[in-house]
Amino acid sequence: MLNDVTFGQYYPAKSFMHKSDPRIKLLALIAYIVALFLAKNFYGLAACALVLIFAVIFSRVPLGSVLRSVKAIIFLLVFTAVLNLFFHGGEHLLVHWGIIKIYREGIIFTVFFVLRLFFLVMGSALLTLTTTPVELTDGIESLLTPLKWVRFPVHELALIMSIALRFIPTLIDETNRIIAAQKARGADFESGNIFKRIKAIVPVLIPLLISAFRRAEELGDAMDARCYSATKNRTKYKKLRFGWRDLIIFLTFASLITGVVLFNIYAAEIFPQIYEYIKLS
Amino acid sequence: MTELSENVISFENVKFSYSGSDGVYAVNGVNLEVGRGEFLSVIGHNGSGKSTLARLINGLLEADSGKITVFGMDVAEGKNSIEIRKRVGIVFQNPDNQMVASIVEDDVAFGPENLGVPRSEIGERIDWALRAVGMDEFRHSTPTRLSGGQKQRIAVAGVLAIKPEIIILDESTAMLDPKGRREVIEVVQKLNKEEGMTVILITHFMEEALLADRTIVMNRGEIVLSGTPEEIFENGDKLEAYNLCLPKITEIINSLNEAGMNLKNVLRPEELAEEISESFKSKGITSAESSPATFSENLCTGEWDIDIKNLTFTYSKKSPFATKALNGIDLHIAEGEFFGIIGHTGSGKSTLVQHLNALIKLPQAGKKFKKKKVKKGQPKPVLPSITVGRFNLADKKCDFRALRASVGMVFQYPEYQLFAESVFADVAFGFKNFNKLATAEEAEKAVRESIEIVGLDYNEVKDKSPFDLSGGQKRRVAIAGVIVTRPEILILDEPAAGLDPLGKKEIMELLHKLHREWCKTVIIVSHDMDEIAENCTRAAVLSGGGVVSCDSPSALFSERDKLLSLGLDVPLTSKLCDGLERSGITVRCDCTAADFAAKVKEIYGGRADA
Repeated sequence: MLNDVTFGQYYPAKSFMHKSDPRIKLLALIAYIVALFLAKNFYGLAACALVLIFAVIFSRVPLGSVLRSVKAIIFLLVFTAVLNLFFHGGEHLLVHWGIIKIYREGIIFTVFFVLRLFFLVMGSALLTLTTTPVELTDGIESLLTPLKWVRFPVHELALIMSIALRFIPTLIDETNRIIAAQKARGADFESGNIFKRIKAIVPVLIPLLISAFRRAEELGDAMDARCYSATKNRTKYKKLRFGWRDLIIFLTFASLITGVVLFNIYAAEIFPQIYEYIKLS
Repeated sequence: MTELSENVISFENVKFSYSGSDGVYAVNGVNLEVGRGEFLSVIGHNGSGKSTLARLINGLLEADSGKITVFGMDVAEGKNSIEIRKRVGIVFQNPDNQMVASIVEDDVAFGPENLGVPRSEIGERIDWALRAVGMDEFRHSTPTRLSGGQKQRIAVAGVLAIKPEIIILDESTAMLDPKGRREVIEVVQKLNKEEGMTVILITHFMEEALLADRTIVMNRGEIVLSGTPEEIFENGDKLEAYNLCLPKITEIINSLNEAGMNLKNVLRPEELAEEISESFKSKGITSAESSPATFSENLCTGEWDIDIKNLTFTYSKKSPFATKALNGIDLHIAEGEFFGIIGHTGSGKSTLVQHLNALIKLPQAGKKFKKKKVKKGQPKPVLPSITVGRFNLADKKCDFRALRASVGMVFQYPEYQLFAESVFADVAFGFKNFNKLATAEEAEKAVRESIEIVGLDYNEVKDKSPFDLSGGQKRRVAIAGVIVTRPEILILDEPAAGLDPLGKKEIMELLHKLHREWCKTVIIVSHDMDEIAENCTRAAVLSGGGVVSCDSPSALFSERDKLLSLGLDVPLTSKLCDGLERSGITVRCDCTAADFAAKVKEIYGGRADA
């Protein structure tokens, strides 16, 4: 059942993208998403696509792995595309078939919409493919640090995230073991209706819960024994550092946003005829 | 020996009871003093209060009465607790449950971070701690991908990074394989000798207890014996009264001494071999050979033979994390065998046995399997095949449910898979799954019989919650839940892991009883060589996903160097045979302690008559 869960989707490699600071990658992703939604025309989208292509190249992750991440939302993509296609109004009617009316504007908008979602998912996937969950938590913790001023428990939150990450593989192993053990005793998880299947999970869930509580208790003891909460002035061993890579990423994404904004304003002047044809509404 | 001038820990009449234990003291009137630099080992059966003792020392638990001082500080005073924890580190049993971070160095840094140690110094401490446990090359690794012994050494490093003066190991070796155990114990010995660290080693393994300067024995919350390991293990009868077993070596000595050999009570195999050959010499025996070992014949029909050919298995195929677990296994296990599968963690043992009842199906039996087209001139790919009795596991149409009813599988720590509200319901779970049409009477009969054969009182336990039972009882219930379908073949993964010595002995006796009365074939996966030597008719050694050798224990363990190079050990009896061989005496035994003693007596007695 859980055989194919490789923890997270991290793709181990040594690349420009892998080595850059998780904080800048998180910020870059946010900038990228902002740019995608700022873009009001295909020029802006093209700029985003260009940046994405370079990011993929410099990540050394096979294109297949990046594309695979889109698989999860393919249904959503098709569903919204069809809705948009059929119900988007416009001036140039192309197909009229019963109640279905497809306009040129509808097609253009659908393409735009699908591409935007597509790039969005690929960009986010690239972050998780090149950043280990641990780096991500470190990055999030560091980015949230200013919130300490308003007494937000940043360190506690980060520790919770890090412990959760640490125990995911352990608990997956354990779940697999319990499933195998109950299967060996004739439990059937694959047939029957939904109620039967839910009932079949009980022999897995209860041992798993009990074990999780036992682990939590032991972990608590181990943390206490290692002087947890000994002092308020806890130090942090790992410090993230900005490097030249991060500067490049920063500049790239800063210019991406600027570019997209400029395209929004001046797009009509670049190729007026083409623009007229593909403009959105 | 180290100077034992100063006491670093002292207990004065300490009592402690857990809430809800009806006033039964887990630690009952303990007086104890531990000197600086001492290596103290603590033994005792499960529930004798050993672990409670450890937790009292650093204030994880608070004593009901009495006084505990650590470095002159009173543990009961709250303001001392951090200072005490800084100076007393504890390593717990389960390495997985002590790690907070997913990267080794981050985990080791956790303690110093908590103490507010400056960053540059944390780096130095990580360097030092990882070097001390020999794990410096794994600094940037993920603990989940390490072996048990490696993980536990990381846990030790995490404690060392706090720079404690006392280190307590609370059954820290119980869940490790022999290699991992050796690794951890070597680290601890080194810390004791070279860094002068005070060590308290709580353990179930008598061989480990022997390494200490002093051993204490606990029974029902009291310290009942205290002295050097030699002194402790002389009190054989007493140890048994405290629910402990004698080390195997002492049992052999006692048995030989009954035949009048007058051996000294030594604790190491080399010493005993020496003693025996001395004793022979005094009788004028300088070279001798025993009669060959005898093996009982397998009289089974072979109806339930297991045949494995060319079994290969890769985890997470087609991902960057693909790992080959099995690589071309060929194995035949005959009906009626008590078969052992040996190998250290990660050798593919568990993957192999999970194939036997199709928990992992062969590729051909999977839904998506397609035959690959073979190009001309290329050899046909050889597909793996497994047959178990009349079941052909490579066949898609094989009745896997019937197979699983006939091949019972008890996983490691089976008590962790108990789930039902009563013992009866839990044991009945498997029976009802496989016999959907069975009547309530039939179910009750089956459950009653299987609870009784594992040695529990049916009427007493059937309505109890399985979670209210003791550790050993839980394991019995879990085994009952598997054998309730009366499997022909019973597979057990580390059946005795984590139990105290007496519990281990009892579980192995239970397996022999099942082998005699219920199941035709018993297969145990184990890394305890003595367990294999004592119990199995034949065993296979797995390493790196392949079968290295497969033979009777006596043949298997004669290849000592090969096993050692694989990170495995040999049983005590073959160590003794080796030692005697060097002084010209050949003992041919089937590797059980009883047979070894008998053969030595035969040589001794035979010449005495002549």
